[in-house]
Amino acid sequence: MTVLKRNPAIIWRVERQREAEVKQALAAGDDPGERGTVLLIDSGTMHQLNLVGGTIWQLIDGTRTAADIVADLAVEYDVSQDELIGDVEAFTSDLLQRGWLLHG
Amino acid sequence: MAEFTDLFSAPLTFNWTLSYRCNFSCVHCYSREEAAEELSTAEICSMVDILAEKQVPFINFGGGEPLVRADLFDVATYATSKGLNVSMNSNGWLLDLAAAEKLKAAGFKSVGISIDSADAALHDDFRCMQGAWDRAVGALQALRTVGLRSTLSAVISRINYQHFRQILDLARDNGVAQVYLHNFKCSGRGFKNREELDLSPEEWKAFYVEALAVKNATTDISISFDDPVIASLPGYAENPLVKGSSCGKLSLHLKPNGDITPCGFIPLVVGNLLHDDFDDLWKNSHILNAMRNKEAKGKCGSCGSYESCLGGCTARAFATTGDFSEPDPHCWK
Ligand code: SF4
Repeated sequence: MTVLKRNPAIIWRVERQREAEVKQALAAGDDPGERGTVLLIDSGTMHQLNLVGGTIWQLIDGTRTAADIVADLAVEYDVSQDELIGDVEAFTSDLLQRGWLLHG
Repeated sequence: MAEFTDLFSAPLTFNWTLSYRCNFSCVHCYSREEAAEELSTAEICSMVDILAEKQVPFINFGGGEPLVRADLFDVATYATSKGLNVSMNSNGWLLDLAAAEKLKAAGFKSVGISIDSADAALHDDFRCMQGAWDRAVGALQALRTVGLRSTLSAVISRINYQHFRQILDLARDNGVAQVYLHNFKCSGRGFKNREELDLSPEEWKAFYVEALAVKNATTDISISFDDPVIASLPGYAENPLVKGSSCGKLSLHLKPNGDITPCGFIPLVVGNLLHDDFDDLWKNSHILNAMRNKEAKGKCGSCGSYESCLGGCTARAFATTGDFSEPDPHCWK
């Protein structure tokens, strides 16, 4: 399995305050909604990633395969392995198609 | 505006005037009469640290002429090492092949050269500098030789508005990736000389209708306008990140002494990057919040384009009326 990396043409940043607020809401059992925690700009158009997407995006640093990312997420999220594999697969194939991710 | 700073924890770009010094003295310049203490390299690097910490992705050095500061290359190298995307705008006079190589090595992502006309004599006259055009074009060639992305900036005024196609051709001939046709700002000398240089609202409309049609039909070169007042035109198909002026929202300006202003054309100091808490300024500055929450005054109140135009260029409205919310004086509606 190849490692994944972010397309360097994509400008992005973690909106740390929002990320902390969303994590806090989740810990308190509240619904954080679809509030974006990572801001991403592709050719002048802005997009946002939600907490799970943003976390996966940050893990895609050119050293990890999809399986590595699932393993890292399993430490942070109390979700079944199958669900994590499905989430990572869906997210990465969408972003590969958009050209935001590349195979390392 | 809580929602705005909730979405953007910091601007995306800082337009950074490292020095107001310049080897030129142009008739439209906003900054020739400006003066500010300049900071040391170490202090500038401390500001870079703050911008990196706030995850500001872009800095663009302007001026004055950025190349008059000998430490420009060191500052850019440092900013690049901190993950910032660095660009600059220059008059090109000092940008020979050796300088282009140093800019490339310092990590510059792109370099903009100001050329206001494809006619060398007209450009030299406008810039009050014999030989300016030759050296500006030479700068584009040097950037092309070292493989550094170049852009071309022209301030649209009476001298060039009917000849912008030739400027595009000049850009093509010199491998330029993007052309900025900047709207004329009534600041500094631009304000003093505006009778002579500025177009009438009807002329602006005619220019933009034509320039938008050219832009929409052009695929080999990217053409950009930074003028929110064009949002009311039918040919306008952009979907910008924010409506209206982006100053104070997506971008801020840094003066040589670290003072922050909403943009280079609005002389109101929001605070100082080295001495004040940036997050507090960004969220709570009355100036920034007034710019983000303009109210539709005058003819804007009954204008169907207000939602996308937001009264046009805030800097121009402020320069001519002292009020952010008055209609842009270039508006033809
Ligand atoms: S009247 Fe105001 S809102 Fe309408 S186009 Fe002119 S500046 Fe923009």
